[in-house]
Amino acid sequence: MLPLYLLNSAKSQPILVELKNGETLNGLLTNCDSWMNLTLSEVIQTSPNAEVFTKIPEIYIRGSHIKYLRLPEQTMDYAKEQNMINMEQRNKNQNRRGGRPNNNSGNFNRRRNDNNRGGNYNNRRGNSSNYHQSHGAGDS
Amino acid sequence: MSAPNSRSISDGSSNAEDLYLEAYAFTTAAALVGSVDRKIFLLLRDGRNLFGVLRTFDQFANLVLQDTTERIYLDAEGSKSLEKPARFGETYRGVFMVRGENVVMMGAVDIDHEDEHLEVLQNIPFEAAEAELKAIQRERVQAEKQKTKSLLSRGLINDFTKSDLY
Repeated sequence: MLPLYLLNSAKSQPILVELKNGETLNGLLTNCDSWMNLTLSEVIQTSPNAEVFTKIPEIYIRGSHIKYLRLPEQTMDYAKEQNMINMEQRNKNQNRRGGRPNNNSGNFNRRRNDNNRGGNYNNRRGNSSNYHQSHGAGDS
Repeated sequence: MSAPNSRSISDGSSNAEDLYLEAYAFTTAAALVGSVDRKIFLLLRDGRNLFGVLRTFDQFANLVLQDTTERIYLDAEGSKSLEKPARFGETYRGVFMVRGENVVMMGAVDIDHEDEHLEVLQNIPFEAAEAELKAIQRERVQAEKQKTKSLLSRGLINDFTKSDLY
């Protein structure tokens, strides 16, 4: 589980962000991306010397300015749970689509699906080459 | 006759394997894979000392620590007197996600001996330690500012930034 995946599963939870300049921001994580850019809501901003406190309804943080984040204690467990639920859901969908029931992870299923698609593509190409061949025969 | 021969051959091959593995030792963030689920020590660029269990990392060496404590080490009260012990203050911080670029160094902590060095130190409240550290850092920044000024007047550069307090 990568750090950014963990951050993704901490959405809507209260987090603390400290910026490189020492400023801290407490708020609910509304969104994040793969650059660690964040949007927080209901934010309390604290100045580096912890003397000025400002209430801000919504804020955007550029990822490169972040020093560290502090996440709620249960984030790790929650992310694991979410991961399990997603896996199960994926497996279920696979079965409904007529895939063989198996205990493999969702990833494996997806790859097998890709292989099938690859097979179809090859078949189609086989047909088209037949088409060209027949054309060639007609020309000569 | 043949047995010792075969053994010497297998010895040779195991050495070759070692060489092979050494040649492919991880040098990038992947080297951290051996520290996952171990207790580690982390020094940040701002001078923070963090101790926690490394749970995950990525290619930027962004690190996730669980059950983290932050610890501040201070010299003995007054100056570096020999009568009084050096001091430390620590506090529990929980889950940390540190952006890799802010890490100065990281090391494994031997959990059997991690508290031994604290026995000779005096434990003080974290808030007091933090306040004292902040004051020391403020002084340092002021001193460096002066130094920068005097060096610059002689056409020299002082390599110091406020955020590098480690």
